[in-house]
Amino acid sequence: MVKNQKFLIYRNPGNGNVNYERYEVPLKKGMSVLEALFYIQDHYDSTLAFRYACRGAICGSCGMTVDKVPSLACRVQVSKIKTLKKPSNLPEIKFGDLPSWDQKVEILIEPMPNMKVIKDLIVDMEPFWKFYHEIEPYLENEWSDNTPESQQSPSEMKKIERLVYCILCGLCWACPVNRINSNYLGPAQLAKADRFINDSRISAAQQKSILTRVYKEDAVPACQKYFVCNRVCPKNVMPGTAIKDIRDNWMNEKD
Amino acid sequence: MKIEEFDVVVVGAGLSGLRAGLELSTQWNTAVLSKVYPVRSHSGAAQGGINAALGNLEVGKDDTPKRHAFDTVKGSDYLADQDVVMFMCEEAPKIVVEFESMGAPFSRLDSGLIAQRPFGGAGFPRTCYAGDRTGHALLHTLNEQSIRKGVTFFNEYFLIDLIKVKDQVVGLISLDIAKGELVIFRAPYIVLATGGFGRIYKQSTNALINTGDGNGAAFRAGIPMQDVEFVQFHPTTLYGSNILITEGARGEGGYLFNNKHERFMKKTAPEAIELAPRDIVARAEETEVQEGRGIQDAYVHLDLTHLGAKKIKERLPGIREISMFFAGIDPIEEPIPVQPGQHYSMGGIATKYSGEFGETDLIGLYCLGECSCLSVHGANRLGGNSLLETSVFGRAIGRNLLKKGLPKKVPQKEIEIVENNTIHAVEKLFKEWNNNSGSKPVEIREVMGDIMNKNVGVFRNQKDLEIAYEKLKNLQEKFKNVHVITEDRKFNYGLVRTLELRNMLDLAECTCFAAIWRRESRGAHYRLDFPDRNDNKYLHHTLVYRNKDVLDLKTKPVKLGIFEIKERTY
Repeated sequence: MVKNQKFLIYRNPGNGNVNYERYEVPLKKGMSVLEALFYIQDHYDSTLAFRYACRGAICGSCGMTVDKVPSLACRVQVSKIKTLKKPSNLPEIKFGDLPSWDQKVEILIEPMPNMKVIKDLIVDMEPFWKFYHEIEPYLENEWSDNTPESQQSPSEMKKIERLVYCILCGLCWACPVNRINSNYLGPAQLAKADRFINDSRISAAQQKSILTRVYKEDAVPACQKYFVCNRVCPKNVMPGTAIKDIRDNWMNEKD
Repeated sequence: MKIEEFDVVVVGAGLSGLRAGLELSTQWNTAVLSKVYPVRSHSGAAQGGINAALGNLEVGKDDTPKRHAFDTVKGSDYLADQDVVMFMCEEAPKIVVEFESMGAPFSRLDSGLIAQRPFGGAGFPRTCYAGDRTGHALLHTLNEQSIRKGVTFFNEYFLIDLIKVKDQVVGLISLDIAKGELVIFRAPYIVLATGGFGRIYKQSTNALINTGDGNGAAFRAGIPMQDVEFVQFHPTTLYGSNILITEGARGEGGYLFNNKHERFMKKTAPEAIELAPRDIVARAEETEVQEGRGIQDAYVHLDLTHLGAKKIKERLPGIREISMFFAGIDPIEEPIPVQPGQHYSMGGIATKYSGEFGETDLIGLYCLGECSCLSVHGANRLGGNSLLETSVFGRAIGRNLLKKGLPKKVPQKEIEIVENNTIHAVEKLFKEWNNNSGSKPVEIREVMGDIMNKNVGVFRNQKDLEIAYEKLKNLQEKFKNVHVITEDRKFNYGLVRTLELRNMLDLAECTCFAAIWRRESRGAHYRLDFPDRNDNKYLHHTLVYRNKDVLDLKTKPVKLGIFEIKERTY
């Protein structure tokens, strides 16, 4: 017999009229939250809005809040949510009035925190991208296709490897600082800055340029060391540790 | 109606579109249109690497672009156009070095040079990699450079249809997904880089967004689909979700086992064993399962346990993560359950026989990457050659167009007439969908996926293909009466996915039609009723057209002359 799973889903047409709706989805083996959302869109309400792309936790599209935990919807298995160990010490995530929620039975789906909701589970990522651009996330070396390539030792590569894995999903914006300070550059952005300043191939001039930006008060100094970003990051990028690296190892180089 | 005017519009922001956009932006007013943010594109899911005869490892010292080209042509079962393959392989070392100069975080050898690993069907360890997330590394690098260079993006815009005056493209009509408005892009050049269309199959490694939108638009504009019967089934996709488990896992030394704990690939490919090309391994797995040697009658085991924790954590961390989260298995401790799944579309938008790279029959329309058929992969693509194709031809097509210059403009009056017609046609379509009383899109999409999986899969035969074709035609009929809400258009993914289904149905039909025509077995197209390759009759590219309501097929010669045609054994 097919078991049904109950969902309680945040809906918002974009005009501020928040409404939580209840759905039941027939459970399939290995079903992810993302698949359940598609089931609802396909069978009950084609206007239910959420972002998606790869369904394999590499594209970073489907960030949302599942049972009060910022998560990639594609990577959370429906059958395991209620027994999943949750990251410790998460800030309270609220989206206005939540109706009665049977926590044992219903899976609660809400948008990503600390971003403006455009429609249902879709948030405005523009500030995220704007701040991402601000840290100048690129190498400014001149392109060359002359062999051989420039060299980098495995240990130099290792220094940036963890940071490179960032998928820019935005879940780390669950940080309490992002909630109160809309000018805060954000954990992912600062982790990306750390990725570039630690790249053995970067020029001194560009390194300085990035550092100048992240020294400003809405950047590294704004971090309150909650390390929520480290705990919610689905790719183990550890943005908080990256910010600590900048603070500990680069700030004193400020001229 | 909003109208945007550019010199060139690139559709798609994966590796192909980004690389073309970067090149074209240096001189022209260029727009890159994408239905997702660039870093969400499916190029980012590529794992294993990008091929180039760099010879960075001692054992690879004798590797050359020509040897790379030979492996590619042999891997293609001799259906690839040899001159285009030669160009790609000669450009390969340059494009990889260029990626590095842009900041791509490749894994490194102790020498400090880019690391390379062995891959299926290759004579040397030629595949340059960044751990097992090479696509992600390269996609982010090109996105970073696009930010640096100020490339103009239109993100979350969906290509609906191309607009043409006679045989010249003049623009396209798109849906601004966020606002829900139709927007016209007017440009004398359109470059389609919209990726593959694996989602016509139920079981696919492809992202959910790989629905052939560029292909559908080109097909409706009269451009044929070339070689679409050649569909690559990847031998190692995670059982159940069909998420890709890179060929690099076998490149690093992984074994395939059946339920008797036999390395069954030793029978099929005594020399290459697990590193035989994908088509061969996929068929061997399917055979094991069909003959009762599968595990739970459904899958085989990809065993990495003997590689040890250190190597797995270092070289295959992404595979470990995928196995743990999506299958609850740690590959350090246990083998991974794998099965073949649709992975790559070798065929795509047809390109001219004697034209420029990516040039189509519609003046001003170009294509590249997985949506296109250039044709460098022929009947079977080698792993590590798809990332290569995207960037090599993104750069080449960009440079070529700049050199060629902008074409003579079509008179404004004529453009406006076709634009108005297009807007009316799309509005009419949306209204019909809203008012129809027929099936929901899901009812059509799921049946399509099942048919393609069952009847147009790893093994094919005349009867099953003909049944599939009839069913697909019925689905096309059903689709005419499909119902979806189109009035509320803001972030209406129900509408977007119906537009995608419109494209996929055409592609499924074309794939099946070409598979019926090709009564031989070549590369990924395997006919149980015609198990041999037949060069006398079928050493041709196929071109499928829509001729009113029926499909029509023509052929195009294969460009030969560099490598002699031989039997393909490994």
